[in-house]
Parts: sequence; structure tokens; C-alpha cells
Amino acid sequence: MSTHSFSNETIENHDLAKAREQHFLPLSPAYVKVNLLCRLLICLIILVALVAVNWQPWFELPSPMQNAIPGLLIAIASLGFLLSVYGIIGDKVKGYALREHDLSYKSGVIFKSIISQPILRIQHVELKHGPIDRHVGLASLEVFSAGGAMHTFAIPGLPEEKARELRQYILEHGDIAANE
Amino acid sequence: MNNEQTSSIDTTTEEYRDKWLKLSPVAIIYFAIQFIKNTASNFVYLIPALVVGYQKLADNIVSILIGVAGILVFIAVSALVKFYFYQYRITGQRAQIHSGVFQKKHIDLPFERIQNIRFEQPIYYRFTDHVCMLLDTAGSSKAEAKIIALPKSVAETLKQEILLFKSHTSDTESQTDTEQQHDQETVLNTRSVRDLVIHGLASNRIWIVLGALAPFFNAISEQVIEGIESFGVDVEALMSSTQYAMWQYILVIASATFIIVALLALISVIGSVITFYDFRLTRSGDRYIRRNGLFTRHEVAMRLRRLQMIVYQQNWLDRLLQRVNLKFEQLNSSVERHSASTAGGKIMVPSVTLSEAEELARDAWPEHQMGSIKFHPISKRLMVRNALVSFWLLVGSAIVISYFGHYQLSAALVALFLASLPFIALRWKRWGYANDGQFIYIRKGLIGVNYRCFPIHKVQQTSFYQSWFMRRFKLCSVGFVLACGGQSVPFIKETTGDALIDNTLYRVEALRKSWM
Repeated sequence: MSTHSFSNETIENHDLAKAREQHFLPLSPAYVKVNLLCRLLICLIILVALVAVNWQPWFELPSPMQNAIPGLLIAIASLGFLLSVYGIIGDKVKGYALREHDLSYKSGVIFKSIISQPILRIQHVELKHGPIDRHVGLASLEVFSAGGAMHTFAIPGLPEEKARELRQYILEHGDIAANE
Repeated sequence: MNNEQTSSIDTTTEEYRDKWLKLSPVAIIYFAIQFIKNTASNFVYLIPALVVGYQKLADNIVSILIGVAGILVFIAVSALVKFYFYQYRITGQRAQIHSGVFQKKHIDLPFERIQNIRFEQPIYYRFTDHVCMLLDTAGSSKAEAKIIALPKSVAETLKQEILLFKSHTSDTESQTDTEQQHDQETVLNTRSVRDLVIHGLASNRIWIVLGALAPFFNAISEQVIEGIESFGVDVEALMSSTQYAMWQYILVIASATFIIVALLALISVIGSVITFYDFRLTRSGDRYIRRNGLFTRHEVAMRLRRLQMIVYQQNWLDRLLQRVNLKFEQLNSSVERHSASTAGGKIMVPSVTLSEAEELARDAWPEHQMGSIKFHPISKRLMVRNALVSFWLLVGSAIVISYFGHYQLSAALVALFLASLPFIALRWKRWGYANDGQFIYIRKGLIGVNYRCFPIHKVQQTSFYQSWFMRRFKLCSVGFVLACGGQSVPFIKETTGDALIDNTLYRVEALRKSWM
């Protein structure tokens, strides 16, 4: 720390790198598809369960419930459809960006957020892949800082290769070594 | 280096190294009391039932006595067994603890992972001068180690050794530095009993006690009435009779309320005195040490460079009394420990005056300007947003409810909406932020106020947040994650938010200063 000379000039704001004007890269297209399939599947399971309860031969449902079932089916189906459409848009909006000294992750359609994680503050990095992720070759990158588990920085839906590259980049980054 | 270290080992700790050791027998009391505490906290809800069923219990006094004796024997045996299975070993570079009877727990803690060393001295340890030594790590709370009974002198020496070891390995400070540190301790602040009484009165512990008692109000009031009736007073006749005027009833109720509040305040004051009795905040080198407690003495040490944020906390009573609770926040290693103000690594100085707070804060961070900085207000749209949310939730449901004919309920909801408006305005008024290039200051609160101040270079992560509503008005919220938790500033101008985040990232990444 003592080797490089210290300066503390006032910085004009327009000279600073702008966190919001980075070029964000989209997540893997497979991630969008997998998420869509999962949502549709869950919706389908609920619909099938409802129909099964209605048609099963063992006991008769009370009549108000029987009458409500068609409406309920339509409601769930349309809700599932809307959520799927919103989900697709949401997943397509998600993106990440890598700069020399930090990582950023952007998400949200109506509620937009951009989280930036300086590499200097990273304590450790994890790659995570669930069974479905593994099957389609996806992984999510989780980055932990001293901010605690509540504030884990995560980029989901990365192609496994890309995720490994990112992890390697972080681990070999000069800032990490400086961070004790 | 290793030679230096072994030579620096004090002879007092000689017999405490490199072999598995049992605790001092005093620890048996500790285990027993711990067991009772844990059990009692699980059965605290049975107390009202016991009170109500007192009569029945009194009839079977013999079997109860036998039962109590059995429980006592059980506690004694379990404490003995726990004591028997507890072993610890301190080697040159790590602390190891084996404990547990059925479920074995092995802790192996290298010295360099120890973030903080704390002492606790329960009252029953004072006669033999033993302490509990708590070794905190930055990681999960499971990895935290507690050596349950050590003679105080040994604990002190061990602490110095561990600290010395750490400074040797980190190489950031010279040895002379650390040796100087534990020679001189300057007292920064002490709290008199008067201050603690003020703290007890002002702290909202009263309301916590009230809240905890709420489920039993019914049972308690019944008991009270029964009690009065047993003195031969007919409460119902008293209430229904016309011989007393209305104002007399009101007087009785008012004085009863006053007595209850006074009683609760007294409890709160006693609690405050017990926890903070003989409070001393001292500083030696870059180390802050807090000692307090009437029965159990707590000792917490914090290195100045671990300090993440300074908080001035004022609730409405504090504002009236012109007092501040000053908090030095460091790593928030485990969430579970946040419960009591004395637990964990936080250093809280209760009910100091504003000038004292300023002095203490300046001692820690000389450049900060919490007292003089001018806070910028946030956008008034926050009020609009919150009022709209409140409107749709309360008035919306009022409309729905009135459709079903419950007019009284819907009127109450509308009234609630109107009542929420001043609070929404007040909430907005309390919000404020400032930035002097080195520190970010945040002011927030509702009736009380909180002032926070943290150095920009200690930020761990930033976030920028914007809803559709905010985008339309070019507003945003920003968040800063520190090692002691996240802080946010809502509803500021988009350009200001961008500048705050860009500047923060720049300072973190370009200065490359350590956050601890």
C-alpha cells in the first residue's frame, strides 16, 4: 500500500466510469427457456391436480367447490400464462457486466435494479448448478463479500464454460490478492 | 519468527499449552445455570398457567417437592457430564474445543481466523476470578468458540498472545506497536448510574415488556380483580353503583395506568442499570474496549479499523432529554446475536449527551462531520408514493368492506388512512443524506431519529434501484452494503444516485484501502 503514491484530487463526476452505462451481456438463452418450462410445468401440475381431484372416483366434492372449479382452472391458466410472459421479459432483461474492477448484475422489468460488486471486496466465489441446470449446461455464479449472506451477489443462468471463466477471472484478479 | 513467539509466551500460560485440558470446576455452575436458562426460556409461557393452577399444586406439595428435587438432581448430573466431556487445547496457532455429550462438537479455530476476543464474567465467576473467553470469527456463528472457564490472568495472557500472533502473521504493524497497545489504556467514557437511569427511562424496553405481557392481559386482569375481591371489595357493585361520579372512575383508571407505566419504567431502569452498570469505554492504541454489567461483566474489544459505521440513535424521549445512544458497529458476523444490546461485537454507549457523542465519534474518525454536515432532503414523491400505497390498501379495502355492509369497519379504515398521513410526512422529513467525499451520512427515522455515518471506502457492494414510478420522475434509490449490514437512501435524483454510486465504486476500487 505504501509503495504507490497517494493522491486525493477532487474528481469531476463526468470523468468517472458510469456504473449504469455499462454494456450488459444477456444471460444464456437456455436459462430463459428452462425458466419458462419450469413455470409452465408448475402451472400444468396445479391444473392437473385440480382436475384429478374433481374427477377422482373416491369422494364427491361439495357442490360450491365443484362449481368453482372451471373458473379456478381458467384463472390459474391465465395467471400462469401472464406470469410466463412476464417471466420471459424479465429473464431477457437480466444481464451482467464485467469491468476491470467490478462486476454488475442488472434485473427487473417494472422494478429495475443494478447491483455492483467491487472485485476488491470479494471474499469467495462459488459456482452452483442444480440438477436441471446441470442437464442443460448452466451454472450460477455466487460471489460473497463481507456484507453477509443477505447480500450475496449472484449471476444466474450462465453457460457453464462462461461461469468458470468468470470465476477464474475473479480468482486471478490482482484486487483479490491485495485483499489480504 | 517462531522463536520470537515461543519466547514471548508468558509463563502463566505454560501449563495451558499443547495438551488437552479440562475446565476449572467452576464451570459446572456455568453448565447448570445455562441448562436452567435454556429450559426456563422454553417454559416461560407456562408461568401464567402455574399461577392460575396454584391452588391445585398446593394440594400435592409432597409430590411437587420430589419432582423439583428430581429436576435438580438431573440438572446437576447433566452439568457434571457436560463438564466431563468438555476439553480444550491451545497450541501455538489454534484453539481446539471438544464438547457435547451425545452430539459431539469439535471446534478447531486457527488464530488467524479469530476476529474478536471477548470476555464475559458471570457473577458466580467473580469469587474465583474466572472468565468465559469468546472467540469470534467472521464466518458463521457455528464456528464461534467459547472457552467456558479460564482464570482471568490466563485469559488475558492468552488474548495478548493470540493478538500478537495475528499481528505477526499479518505483518501490517510492527511489534512495538502492538506491545505499546496493551500498556496504556485511556478511559474515553464512563456512565454514571444517573445516565443509566435516563437510558432506562428513554429506551423503549418498556414497550417490549408490555408487548411480551400482552397475551396475558386477560388472565392478569382476572387475577387482579379476584385479588381485590378477596379483600372483600365487590368490584362489580362498585362499577355499577351510581354513588361515584364519572370523573372519579377516570381518576382511578388514570392513576392505575400511571402506576403500571411507572412500574414498567422502573423495570426498564433496573434492566438498564444491570446491563450497563459501571460502563467503561477505554482505548488502548487502536483498540476500543467496552466493559459493563452488574452481575455478568461483559468485555468487548474492537479494533478501530474494524469499525464500519457510527450510529447516533435517538428515540422521542431521547430527543426530549437531549441524549443519544452512540453505536460503533463492526462486523455483523451472525444475525442471531443481535438480540441483546450487550451481546455481539457492537459497542454501544448508552445515553450520552450530544457533545460527548461528538467527542467519541471524533476520537474514532477525526475527519467525520456528523455534527455539522447539512443533510439534503429526499424527494417529496416518497410521501406521494407512500400515501398512494396507504390509500389503496386502506381506503380500497374500506370500499370493498362497505360493499358488504360493514360501514363501521370501513369508516375505521378510512380514519386509519387519515391518521397514517402525518406519519408518512414525518417519515419523509426525517430522511436525509449527505456526502462529503470521504463519508456518507444518512438520517432516518419516524418519531425518533437515527444518524448514520460510514466511510465510503468501506462499502462492500452498491445497488441502484428504480421502479417504473420512479423512472417517470427521474428518481432512484441507492443502497450500500457494509460489513455491518445494508444501508439505503430512497427517492433521490437519478443523477445524484448515479454520482453517489460511481463515486463510491471509484473510491473503493482506486484507493484500495482495507475495510477492516
